[in-house]
Amino acid sequence: MGVASLVLGIIAVVIGLFSAGSLGWLGAILAVIGIVLGALGRKDVEKKGISTAGLVLSIIGLVLCLILYIACVACIGGLAAL
Amino acid sequence: MHLYFNIFGLMIPSYGLMIALGVVLANVIAIFFILKHFGLDFNDFMILEGYAILGGFLGAKGLYFIVSYKEIDWSRMLEADYFNSIMQGGFVFYGGLIMGILFVLLAGKIHKIDCISYIQHNIFLIPFIHSFGRVGCFLAGCCYGIPYDGILSVQFPEMSAAPSGIRLFPVQLVEAVCLMIIAIAMLILDRKRPAFHSLAFYLLTYGILRFVLEYFRFDAARGQFLLFSTSQWISIVMIILSFAMWKA
Repeated sequence: MGVASLVLGIIAVVIGLFSAGSLGWLGAILAVIGIVLGALGRKDVEKKGISTAGLVLSIIGLVLCLILYIACVACIGGLAAL
Repeated sequence: MHLYFNIFGLMIPSYGLMIALGVVLANVIAIFFILKHFGLDFNDFMILEGYAILGGFLGAKGLYFIVSYKEIDWSRMLEADYFNSIMQGGFVFYGGLIMGILFVLLAGKIHKIDCISYIQHNIFLIPFIHSFGRVGCFLAGCCYGIPYDGILSVQFPEMSAAPSGIRLFPVQLVEAVCLMIIAIAMLILDRKRPAFHSLAFYLLTYGILRFVLEYFRFDAARGQFLLFSTSQWISIVMIILSFAMWKA
C-alpha cells in the first residue's frame, strides 16, 4: 500500500504541476486514493516510512490539483461555448 | 473581486485557492487540536477524510449532472475534450455533503473505524471549509445574489461570472459569515457539552440558512421543482432529518 500511495502521490503532483487545468479532476481522485492507501500503510510499522512519503506527496498533489481545478456550480462559462 | 490571484507571476484561480486554503487550515485545526483533544487516531482520520473527499466529489458532481442535465450534450460525453470540460464544469454542495457522509460511514464499516466519534468532533470543519468556498464564489462572481441597490450592494466587473453593470446583493459573503458562525458555535458546543449532537445541529442550521438564502440568489443554475429550488427541497429533507436524529 505504501508503494501504491507513493506512485499515486507522484502522479498527482505531476498532474498538479503541469496539467491541473485540464486533468486536475483525475489528479485529485488519484491523490485522494493515495491519501487513503498511505494512511492505511502507516499502520504497518515496517512500511511506515514509504507510506508517510506517499501520504505527504498525495496531500501536496491534492492541494495543487484543488487550487487549479475546482470550480463551483455556476462557473460553467466554458460550457456554452462547446 | 478577483477571478485570479497573481502569485509570483502565476495566475491562480481564486475559487480553487480559497477552497485549498480552507482545506489546509481545517486539517491543521483537526490534526493539531481536535485529534489531540479527543484522543483520535491520525491515520484513521486521514482514511475517513480521503473517503469523505472522494464521496464528496462524486456526490457534488452527480447532483450537478442532475440539475444541469439540460445544458449538457450527453451525445458528446465520449469526446475527451468535452468530457474534460464537463469535469471542470461545476459542483453542487448538497450532493457532496450527502455522499461525503455516506462514504465516511462506509469507510467506518470497511476499515472497522469508529467513524461516529470522528464525525461528531470534526463535522464543524465542513461549514468552516464551505465558508472559504463562499468567499471564493464572491471572488469569482459565481453564486451571485438578486439585484439590490441598498447598503453593502456590490457590482461585479465584466470578466466575472456575475452580470456586470447592475448592483447585486452580496449573498456569497452573507453565507460565508453565517457558515463561520455555525462552525465556531459547533466547535464551542462540542467542547462544552458531551451530549451535543453536532451533525444534527449542522443539518438544522445549514438547512435553514440555505433555504432562506436561496431566495436571495439570482444565478440561473438553481434547478426548480414545484415551489422550491433543488437546494431548498434538500434543505427541507435535512431539517426533517436533523429532528429525527435529535429524537433518536
